[in-house]
Amino acid sequence: MRATTADREQSAIYTYLICLAAWAIPGAGHLLLGRIQKGITFLVALTLMFLCGLWLEGRLFPLEIRQPLVALAALADMGIGVMFFVARGAGAGAGRVVALTYEYGNAFLIVAGLLNMLVVLDAFDITQGRK
Amino acid sequence: MTTSHVGLMIVFALFVSIVFATLMRDDPKQQLRFGAQLFAAFVLGGIALGWILYFFPL
Repeated sequence: MRATTADREQSAIYTYLICLAAWAIPGAGHLLLGRIQKGITFLVALTLMFLCGLWLEGRLFPLEIRQPLVALAALADMGIGVMFFVARGAGAGAGRVVALTYEYGNAFLIVAGLLNMLVVLDAFDITQGRK
Repeated sequence: MTTSHVGLMIVFALFVSIVFATLMRDDPKQQLRFGAQLFAAFVLGGIALGWILYFFPL
C-alpha cells in the first residue's frame, strides 16, 4: 500500500515536471516523452511565431491587474514560457503602437502563447495515457 | 518576409495550421493532409470574410 502511494506521488511529480518543461520550452514535454517529431515541430513553429511577433513590433504586455484586458494578454503572452522572460529581459517586445504591424505582432505573440498552452495540455494527456 | 496584410495573414495561418495539425494527428502523412486542409480553410475563409466586410464598410 505504501509503495503504491509512493508510486502515485512519483508519477504526479513526473507529470508536473513534464508539464513544466513543456511550458518553459515549447515542445520540450513531447521530446522528453519520446515524441521527437512532434516536439521538434512545436519547438520550431512556436519559436518562429514568437520571433515573428517581436519582429512585427508587437508588445509583450505587463501583468497589470488593474487593467484586466492587459493582464489577460500578459497571461497569454507568458504561455510561451522562458522566451517571454528572456525577451522582456533583453528589452524586446516594447511594442510600437504606431507601427503598421503592431496589432499583427500582438496577435502572433498572444496566439503563440495560447498554442503553447494547448501543447502543455497535450503533453499532460500523454503522461496520463489518454493519447 | 512580407508585411502586407494578406501576407501576414497567410504566415499566421501557416503557423496555426502546423501546430493544430501536429496536435490533432499522429501520423505524419495525416498531419500534412490535415494541416493543408486547415491552412486552405484559414486562408480562403479570411479572404471570403474580407470580401463580405468590403460590402459593409464601417
